[in-house]
Amino acid sequence: MAKILMVKASYSNHYLTTAAILSPPNTAISASKAMSMCSSFCPRRPISFRAKPISCFPIKPKFWVHVKAFSSQDSTSPPKDEIPARIGFLGLGIMGSPMAQNLIKAGCDVTVWNRTKSKCDPLISLGATYKSSPEEVAASCDVTFAMLADPESAVDVACGKHGAANGMSSGKGYVDVSTVDGATSKLISTHIKSTGALFLEAPVSGSKKPAEDGQLIFLTAGDKSLYDTAGPLLDIMGKSRFYLGDVGNGAAMKLVVNMIMGSMMASFSEGLLLSEKVGLDPSVLVQVISQGAISAPMYSMKGPSMVQSLYPTAFPLKHQQKDLRLALGLAELVSQPTPIAAAANELYKVAKSRGLSDDDFSAVIEALKVKMEQRS
Amino acid sequence: MWHSHCLVERICFDPRNPSVREMEEIGFLGLGIMGKAMSMNLLRHGFKLTVWNRTLSRCDELVEHGATIGETPAAVIKKCKYTIAMLSDPAAALSVVFGEDGVLEQIGSGKGYIDMSTVDAETSSKISEAITSKGGSFLEAPVSGSKNLLRMALYEAALPAFDVLGKKSFFLGQVGNGAKMKLVVNMIMGSMMNAFSEGLVLADKSGLNPQTLLDVLDLGAIANPMFKMKGPSMIQSSYSPAFPLKHQQKDMRLALALGDENEVPMPVAAAANEAFKKARGMGLGDLDFSAVHETVSSGKGSS
Repeated sequence: MAKILMVKASYSNHYLTTAAILSPPNTAISASKAMSMCSSFCPRRPISFRAKPISCFPIKPKFWVHVKAFSSQDSTSPPKDEIPARIGFLGLGIMGSPMAQNLIKAGCDVTVWNRTKSKCDPLISLGATYKSSPEEVAASCDVTFAMLADPESAVDVACGKHGAANGMSSGKGYVDVSTVDGATSKLISTHIKSTGALFLEAPVSGSKKPAEDGQLIFLTAGDKSLYDTAGPLLDIMGKSRFYLGDVGNGAAMKLVVNMIMGSMMASFSEGLLLSEKVGLDPSVLVQVISQGAISAPMYSMKGPSMVQSLYPTAFPLKHQQKDLRLALGLAELVSQPTPIAAAANELYKVAKSRGLSDDDFSAVIEALKVKMEQRS
Repeated sequence: MWHSHCLVERICFDPRNPSVREMEEIGFLGLGIMGKAMSMNLLRHGFKLTVWNRTLSRCDELVEHGATIGETPAAVIKKCKYTIAMLSDPAAALSVVFGEDGVLEQIGSGKGYIDMSTVDAETSSKISEAITSKGGSFLEAPVSGSKNLLRMALYEAALPAFDVLGKKSFFLGQVGNGAKMKLVVNMIMGSMMNAFSEGLVLADKSGLNPQTLLDVLDLGAIANPMFKMKGPSMIQSSYSPAFPLKHQQKDMRLALALGDENEVPMPVAAAANEAFKKARGMGLGDLDFSAVHETVSSGKGSS
């Protein structure tokens, strides 16, 4: 029975391709041979794929082989470290759970922790190990990921009592994929690195579905060698990754992107409501927009449900508002006026006060509607 | 009451095609950025055009490509069965119709007037009433990028021309709806351009490479043609006008007026309008609307 070796190669930080290589059983394929086989079969061009197909071979993988040695094409010199054998995952919410699941399905050895233990069950049934604190997870793993909801939780999990930092040491790495402000990221980085371990901030662009489909975009900064080591893992969970330099740069990029997104959603909401009030069909507005220069996937995806006043949660409104608040903080640090983002932020605050924190951020449209019932 | 109607099959632009032959001489009033490009397009597809522009010299290039000049709007209407108008704002649209030697002097039964200017619903209704009371047919058809939003009986007859000019048409019902739809779309576009500008500048001021921001945006849920097209030139502070800022601000103002009439809160659009106003005050009105970027980036310490 032949084993199939799955190798994901990245020719640059942005472009990915995947190859399946048939190997006779019990043969260790050298990484460089695997890479050269990739080069000869896979074109050097950006490929964006919806699911996780094998782009170069028609054969479906039946088995995964653990790759011991791996060289990444995009570094200046191939790193001597092996691909991390034991992966930790802290935080199994809307994003963390599918991300961890993708790692397990790709054949990784994953250990998990979550504040609410029951959220770990689906992962455990897929083969993950459970530990009862971030400290124990970090201690038993080579690379530990953290996906928490906000700066407070991120700091607590990393630096708190029984936090990950207590279990870190030289030779280990901590990759924080939470979205936080630069100061928080630097604080966590300092704590982690003081143990001798490496740190990488790596917030993602993309919500629930891209997380499930392994189509996230990683905006990383920090220790380059950890970026190189973790690369194959990021490639399992995502479709592209950027290395942006010093800690703080990844956080800033993420906040800028989400600031634009939050403003766009607020403006789109104004347009939908206005069109309805002046006697147009908002569904037609969605169609018209999809034909022109401002057509964005977000509008086509969310527009139809917004017209129905439905807001199934892919990205909780409270997190969008948190991101806007942090982005405004970043703008204040560099003394930049951001009137549009500020106006949009107010709408999200109104929506939160209406109890829509856990709805999808598209529920911000409700903030524009007149609230008729009075709560006593 | 409305109904939407997606564009029918593409009509072959063979001048031997009877419906195209019927449109023998088309009139075109207004040869600005849009009008000139649209007229050239029609000429290239074999239509015969009679053109008029307030500044007659702008007709020259079109004459070289086979168009005839009409001395006044009335002269154009007299000669042509169908006339398209592409004026810059409500005042110009009204003056061409109601002014001396204007459209009304020659419009009548058997003639059609298709107004593609972006105006408010009231202006459109005024023009419509005046035209139809003289026996003419009226079609309001403001364009959105490469799209036409239109209505009425002229729709069928005008389809060959619309098909040349645009890629998809929507039939929206009563007069005023096309104008409104256009304003709503442009309102969102104006707010988006402001949000984009804020993001580009914040990225730059935070020590990030703005081009990298463009790359990231292009991969995700908020990727759109406008960011892709305008982003690179904005980073270079280059704003060659495709859509003049003063017209974008006009549209935001009209959209806010619509919101005002209907008591719709629009805080983001209001903030965006202020930014465009500021840009006009800085003398950027004739540049592309992406020049609103300068209102965000022109602060102390910006690169």
